[in-house]
Amino acid sequence: MKRWWRGTFGLVAAVALGFALATLVIGAVAFETTHEALELQLDHRVAIETQALIDEGQDGHEGVAAAIRRREAASSTASLGYRLVDAQNRPIAGSLSTIVPPKPGYVELLPYKSNGEERIAQSLTTVLPGNYRLLVAADRAAIDEMDRRFILLFLGAFGAMLLLGIGAAWLVGIVTRRRLARIDHTAAAIIAGDLSRRVPLTGSGDEFDGVATTLNRMLDRIAGLMENLRQVSSDVAHDLRTPLTRLQNRLDEALRERDSELQREAIEAAASEASELLEVFSALLRIAEVEGMAARAHFQTVNMSAVVADVVEAFRPAMESSGHQLVSRISPGLTLSGDRRLLQQMLTNLLDNAAQHTPQGTMVHLDLESTHDCIRLAVTDDGPGVSEKEAPELFNRFARVDPSRSTPGHGLGLAMVAAIVAVHSGRATIAPRPGFGVYIEF
Amino acid sequence: MRILIVEDDTDTNQFIARGLTELGHQVVTSGDGRDGLFHATDGGFDAMVVDRMLPGLDGLSLVKALRAAGNSTPVLMLTAVSGIADRVEGLEGGADDYLVKPFAFTELAARLHALGRRPSAAAEPSRLVAGDIELDLHRRTVVRAGRKIILQPREFALLAELMRHPGRIMTRTMLLERVWDFDFDPKTNIVETHLSRLRSKLNAGFDSDPIETVRGAGYLIRDGG
Repeated sequence: MKRWWRGTFGLVAAVALGFALATLVIGAVAFETTHEALELQLDHRVAIETQALIDEGQDGHEGVAAAIRRREAASSTASLGYRLVDAQNRPIAGSLSTIVPPKPGYVELLPYKSNGEERIAQSLTTVLPGNYRLLVAADRAAIDEMDRRFILLFLGAFGAMLLLGIGAAWLVGIVTRRRLARIDHTAAAIIAGDLSRRVPLTGSGDEFDGVATTLNRMLDRIAGLMENLRQVSSDVAHDLRTPLTRLQNRLDEALRERDSELQREAIEAAASEASELLEVFSALLRIAEVEGMAARAHFQTVNMSAVVADVVEAFRPAMESSGHQLVSRISPGLTLSGDRRLLQQMLTNLLDNAAQHTPQGTMVHLDLESTHDCIRLAVTDDGPGVSEKEAPELFNRFARVDPSRSTPGHGLGLAMVAAIVAVHSGRATIAPRPGFGVYIEF
Repeated sequence: MRILIVEDDTDTNQFIARGLTELGHQVVTSGDGRDGLFHATDGGFDAMVVDRMLPGLDGLSLVKALRAAGNSTPVLMLTAVSGIADRVEGLEGGADDYLVKPFAFTELAARLHALGRRPSAAAEPSRLVAGDIELDLHRRTVVRAGRKIILQPREFALLAELMRHPGRIMTRTMLLERVWDFDFDPKTNIVETHLSRLRSKLNAGFDSDPIETVRGAGYLIRDGG
């Protein structure tokens, strides 16, 4: 495995190792410090004892020898040993069996014998008048014992910590792997074709559940889109079969027809069926294009009030001549970030809808106003309207109110409106009876 | 006119070439971008039809290269997708007009004719004349046989667009694009109703109608009286 430290186990192990190394350093420093302190303490004790002997003996070597004898007789200081020698190294007093170092000062590791046993002491040699040398030594057993205990304790704690670290790494690794495996299994099942699978939740609300919830929501969204796609393609197939059949019938007619004038008529009818089909395809493609738009890249500030006014002005003569009344109320100077042509098309589709699907004498209202946080566009009419059940369906492709489909249009106009609104991050709603109304908020 | 067609789809290429030849134009065809550019720089064309997607060199790059070389032959660009952003890109790249496939041949022919005669914006005269109608683009006035005619702004724009190409057919979609700036076709008869209003204002007190409706194609304003 390359780069083992990237895995959970490796990561935890690396952290544990780091901690262990840090502990080792801390331990070594602590050991060294205590050890030094103890040695210093021992030096101090030896020095004090030496000074006490010299004081008691009033600077003369005989006095000192007497003091040594007194101490050894009392054997009050078991851990301290003494030896007083003259210039020729002849022992004067003291029972410590060792060679007194020729030079004055501290000796850290002085071997000596006690009851035939080799031991180590820490000593201070002092030169008295007349070249007598006084040696006071303290046994190092206490320090050694302390060191031994310290090391034992430390090694125990260190080992436990290392074990604990490795154990934790192993445990975290196992838990992580098991939780990830669930997500992995779900993904594998979805790849294998079971699109309804979702990542199971533990209900603990932890990070894994958080990721799983997000993943599940993403899967729901994809499933929704897939369903939409399936629906759209089946709708397309269904809705194009009728005009294609008509086209085929016309062409059959033309082939059978002997009279050239009638033949021409049939071909013209076929051509017009074909162009209508192409129109439907263009509309579908355009909707798909708008829906999939890498939108907002080319968006600009659009003077919505002006765009609405232009479209109203373009439609007014036609709507008046078809017996509709178009009443507009436009708040001036409203702008939004968008694509002007798409917004024009949205308005056109809405007005087309009102003009095509309402009877003569219908009043069509178009209002553009700004509320506190958005621009609101309403295209409403007092025509027959649609039922509450049909209303939300109308933004889908090929959705039409008239089941016999005798009115003109392909049921794509409002789908285009919905796509344009969506790409502008707006919200569109349809108000059902009485009348019909589309409300759009940007 | 001498027209160069650069289109890799043989069917479309032949469809356009045959139609234009029938209309009495001289046609040179090419199915490849590089080859097309070679022909185009050779010069002598009054207009070009260039597909957006071409092997060798795409249509947009072809037009850009042509314009960079100082060639200003009018170009009508064809595209297979409605290309909402494509359109702007194409026009900015130096194409003079844009047509989305599939298209009716009459639409292509009308647009080509309008292209061949389109003067550059700077060279556009301020006065347009067709028959007994005079239109002043600066003062925004229309006079027919000495009589002043008051038009709505959109009716004025509509008449001006027709008079820029006297005797040439302007299709519904061309008028929608140029007068209303719509690049789609509303189901409502916007062009028809505006045109009928323009007609009634223009023809009040006159016997003849200078605007002709060409069935299944579009409208034109007669050149002579």
